Amino acid sequence: MSIDVKNISYTYMAKTPFECQALDQVSVTINKGEFVAIIGHTGSGKSTLAEHLNGLLHPTTGAVYVDGIDVNGKGADAKKARHQVGMVFQYPEHQLFAETVYEDIAFGPRNSGKDPDTVDAAVRSAMEFVNLDFATFAQRSPFALSGGQMRRVAIAGVVAMEPDYLIMDEPSAGLDPRSRNMIFAQLMTIFKKRKMAVILITHSMEEAALYADRLLVMSGGKLCIDGKTSDVFINDEKTLEKLAVDVPESFKLAEELQQQGLPLKGAILTEAQLVKAIAKAKGWSGC
Amino acid sequence: MDSIISVQNLTHTYTDGQNNSVKALDGINLSIAPGEFVAIIGTNGSGKSTLARHFNALLTPTEGICLVNGLDTSKEENMWQVRQTVGMVFQNPDNQIVAAIVEEDVAFGLENIGVPSEQIRPRVEAALAAVNMSAYAQQAPHRLSGGQKQRIAIAGVMALEPKCIVFDEPTAMLDPKGRKEIVSTVVKLNKEKHITIVYITHKMEEAILADRIVAMEKGKIVMMGTPAEVFSQVELMNKLGLEAPLAAEVAFHLNKAGHKLPANIITHKELCKALCPSM
Repeated sequence: MSIDVKNISYTYMAKTPFECQALDQVSVTINKGEFVAIIGHTGSGKSTLAEHLNGLLHPTTGAVYVDGIDVNGKGADAKKARHQVGMVFQYPEHQLFAETVYEDIAFGPRNSGKDPDTVDAAVRSAMEFVNLDFATFAQRSPFALSGGQMRRVAIAGVVAMEPDYLIMDEPSAGLDPRSRNMIFAQLMTIFKKRKMAVILITHSMEEAALYADRLLVMSGGKLCIDGKTSDVFINDEKTLEKLAVDVPESFKLAEELQQQGLPLKGAILTEAQLVKAIAKAKGWSGC
Repeated sequence: MDSIISVQNLTHTYTDGQNNSVKALDGINLSIAPGEFVAIIGTNGSGKSTLARHFNALLTPTEGICLVNGLDTSKEENMWQVRQTVGMVFQNPDNQIVAAIVEEDVAFGLENIGVPSEQIRPRVEAALAAVNMSAYAQQAPHRLSGGQKQRIAIAGVMALEPKCIVFDEPTAMLDPKGRKEIVSTVVKLNKEKHITIVYITHKMEEAILADRIVAMEKGKIVMMGTPAEVFSQVELMNKLGLEAPLAAEVAFHLNKAGHKLPANIITHKELCKALCPSM
């Protein structure tokens, strides 16, 4: 079970002065059960690639298969394949529209032809996943909620579709640390429970390091690096710099400490790893 | 010296969707000195933006007073002067750009307040220079990057020659490169042009650049002090739903395990100094 991207290229506004090749012969396979982060500077093609995974954009050349079915094909199978790929856009709360939280989340499942009981169950379980109490929030207007709550309603609307592949385009942009940690904790719960694939587009290397097993680094419409998260940050630091991609703050701080003579060992990408490595280098216990 | 912004016992109450009266701000007292760089931090809904919107009379107090350069913001006759003293820059650059050419966009505010046309050009040029965007004067804003667009928005405010600029999460929608552009622009305006800065952010590595941090929770100011004083209280920061800068968090965890690192470590350099004897 996987999304197979086969050699796709995409040109925006072809045959106009603004013609721009946004994707250039990208091939990649993303399997169910993987947590993949796509990183790269603005305009590198991250979001364009993501929008191909469920057929929102049709590749100029090449093809995208979900569980073996061409997502750009016609017919019921292709439609079902597209529904397997859920997409949470940037600032998804801007897309809330219904009068109540319940109606907003129910829109997707209802539209895909599920019966009322199934829709109801999907809404309840999606709200539970994003930690919005059903009794408190179901009948409230989504527009009278805080930013973090609105974000969670919008995510619940996608989760209620029970996708096998979940794409999230910068889900934490503009959220405070508490809401951000909450959203990721819930995402990890769904990820583990449903054994789905999560594809996270992010500018935060901390998020990539904390959550993703695998990193895809985009630049100039090309997939430049594809590898295990820790390998990429440690082995490709120079390439990342050239591609205008940052490394996690903990990695930078570890390097500064090493330059000053503190012998830190092992892969250090997160705060917890850094604290452990310092304690070890100093011969301190208890960290 | 007199404060440029002085808030006394400010309370702001609004009615939510279910007809409950909610105190978004509850008894705030705060003075900001001319030339100061103040960062306001706090979780979503803590009242940061509501407070900032009082500084240029977008909102007025339900109780208490807000003085800008000594002028009461709740008096309508003061509104124009208050808004020329305190400019605002918001999160989304796309919502702040009105014209099809960069220099026209920057000139918009000046035309609006009736500045004589021979003064408009020099002021637009100065404003674009202040944000390092002079080379883009003739370009179309929609073809610029997020960081560049946000700098145009800042130039539009700068052209009005305010004494103070309030930034409400100006980097939230930008990529790391755009973020760096904005942060260095803000620091430059403060240090070189002596503009008073009020900077709302969730990003502690940006807040650390301020002279003073104001932390808010549930409409109240709960902590206030230098970055070192505020961010070294990691436990309290976490309780507020915030994070301290990485070096402070690391020092905190090492100290919690019983090691005695000096207090008030918040920067990479300070942590290196504490851990590496060679420095």
